[in-house]
Amino acid sequence: MMDAHPDSDLVIDARGLVNQFGSHRVHDDLDFQLRRGRVMALVGGSGSGKTVLLHTLIMLRQATAGQLHLFGVDIQTADEATRQSLRERIGVLFQGGALFTSLTVLENVLMPIKEHGRFDPQWLNELGMSKILLAGLPADSADKYPMELSGGMVKRAALARALALDPELLVLDEPTSGLDPIGAAAFDDLIHTLSESLGLTVLQVTHDLDSIWRGVDEVAFLARKKVLAIGTAVELAARDEPELAAYFRGTRSEAYWAAAMRKAQDDGAPVAPHIIGTQA
Amino acid sequence: MTSAMHASRLDHAPPQADWSSDPEFAVLTLTGTWTVHSLQHVPILHVPTTQTIRILSQISAFDSAAAMVLARWLRQWRAAGITVDVSQMPERERTLLELLDARLVDTVPERTRRTSLLAVIGESAVRQWDEARQFLGFLGELIWRGVPLVLTFWRIRWSVVIAEVEAAGVRALGIVGLLSFMIGMVMAYQGGATLSNYGANILIVNLVGIITLREMGPLLAAIIVAGRTGSSYTAQLGTMRITEEIDALRALGVPPFEILVFPKVIALVVTLPLLSLFADLMGLLGGAVVANYGYGVSFAVYFDRIPDVITVTTLWLGLIKAPVFAIVIALIGCMQGLRVRGSASEVGRATTVSVVQAIFMVIVIDAVFSVLYNLMGY
Repeated sequence: MMDAHPDSDLVIDARGLVNQFGSHRVHDDLDFQLRRGRVMALVGGSGSGKTVLLHTLIMLRQATAGQLHLFGVDIQTADEATRQSLRERIGVLFQGGALFTSLTVLENVLMPIKEHGRFDPQWLNELGMSKILLAGLPADSADKYPMELSGGMVKRAALARALALDPELLVLDEPTSGLDPIGAAAFDDLIHTLSESLGLTVLQVTHDLDSIWRGVDEVAFLARKKVLAIGTAVELAARDEPELAAYFRGTRSEAYWAAAMRKAQDDGAPVAPHIIGTQA
Repeated sequence: MTSAMHASRLDHAPPQADWSSDPEFAVLTLTGTWTVHSLQHVPILHVPTTQTIRILSQISAFDSAAAMVLARWLRQWRAAGITVDVSQMPERERTLLELLDARLVDTVPERTRRTSLLAVIGESAVRQWDEARQFLGFLGELIWRGVPLVLTFWRIRWSVVIAEVEAAGVRALGIVGLLSFMIGMVMAYQGGATLSNYGANILIVNLVGIITLREMGPLLAAIIVAGRTGSSYTAQLGTMRITEEIDALRALGVPPFEILVFPKVIALVVTLPLLSLFADLMGLLGGAVVANYGYGVSFAVYFDRIPDVITVTTLWLGLIKAPVFAIVIALIGCMQGLRVRGSASEVGRATTVSVVQAIFMVIVIDAVFSVLYNLMGY
């Protein structure tokens, strides 16, 4: 049931993925790889199928065709028990937080631990509190209900819940949308700190240019029903494809691009269009 | 310590913490698997009397749950004035421990819950009083805003009203008809069993006719509508509150009362009397079937006798209650919906409250009508 995959360093390895709704093909022969320990942003225009891809990768929907390995396990041939154990290794932060509204923040965080963990009941509250504090929430928010929280706190509470079982892969759907710039930067920093100290692999869908240019190790760009390119924002900006040029050198990205160019000049190195995993 | 049996089933060694002493410091050696899946019994440690503790780790798996436990211990020891040396731990474990240690706070807040009986009674009394006041307020708003709307009836949103009439009335015909028919049958059976002993089978018509028209028809229709339509009003408005649709209407300058509440009230005031009339007819029909096949009162005799025992007044005494029921059901349904705050479970709770209150009020009002009719000599 657990057929070993040649490259176990890949947390996500999707090959030839097809997603189709009726006659509308969202992804066509899509390849996508994510290495252990990387923080990756998944970007693309609205309607390019980011959320569908995310849902496929976290096993919320079955791809129409193609191969998907998670942690080296082929999920098409895996039985339900294996899939369930894989799910426990993935923490998900949904776009709106998706906190259970009838539970307090602490109860939200403890839910997955009580369901799937085997942890000393006397220490449970302490453990839940540690996740809440880890996510950067004040201690007194533990007893609050989701409706009593601000937007930024909802995101942090959802992050605390996503971290509950010490996942190896953290999947974030627009984690900084709806946050003020200061809050968003703090959230980016938090993700980075956590990914370093917990050894997390992070995949985040985002439109936040700050995150894309400064907050992540690499960027996967979704267009033409495929992952068009994977690389750093600077690398993707240096490419010729019109979609990439528009996204990374367009009006909104101009300042970031200019800053990257200046920095490259100061360093005396050319902006190396050395791109990892090109699939033009 | 973890039971060995369970650990072997999970295929990992139990978490263990063992002291060994050294002249200068106590050494705590950690072995086994330390994760959220294996720490089902956190080891209980006695605190050594030495000035320094050194932690050695031979742990095979270590996650932030384990780091949390260690960080707690560290805090306790430091509070007791003991120096803790973690320098011998692997770097990854140390980083994790430091991260947790830096973030933990010393007090875990406890949710304060008042559970004394007196507090519960008091709270519920205050809540009931609040609800009663709100209902009166809502009734006042209906009159305050409703009367001008009725006077300028062309401004009423008739398309909404008609859609509500269809949902609350036309679609309820089947269930109201079937239940009334069966209640009519039941009454005829129960009455017939006694009346036939006296050879007074023909009086089944009086029995079924009067009870159905004065009580059963309107009451049954109202209870079904309260369960079917009142609950849907609450669920709809409650969900609209959570999704901020009500706020959006206000922001767009469309008063929610005008577009949501008032059409529903009008629709029920129109629908419920008609449904009651239909329930009356079906109840009489149910009685007729039993009278014909069970007690030898033929259809011809049954329907021939109806005008003699039932006057138009009897019909009106029943039907006049229907609009009152309608207003109460619609108002409670809408009020409970608009009161919803926040969570999905609140919508469920509000819907339950709405149905219970509406049926309760319908029966109370019915009783009040009976007393009034009695005083008036009907």
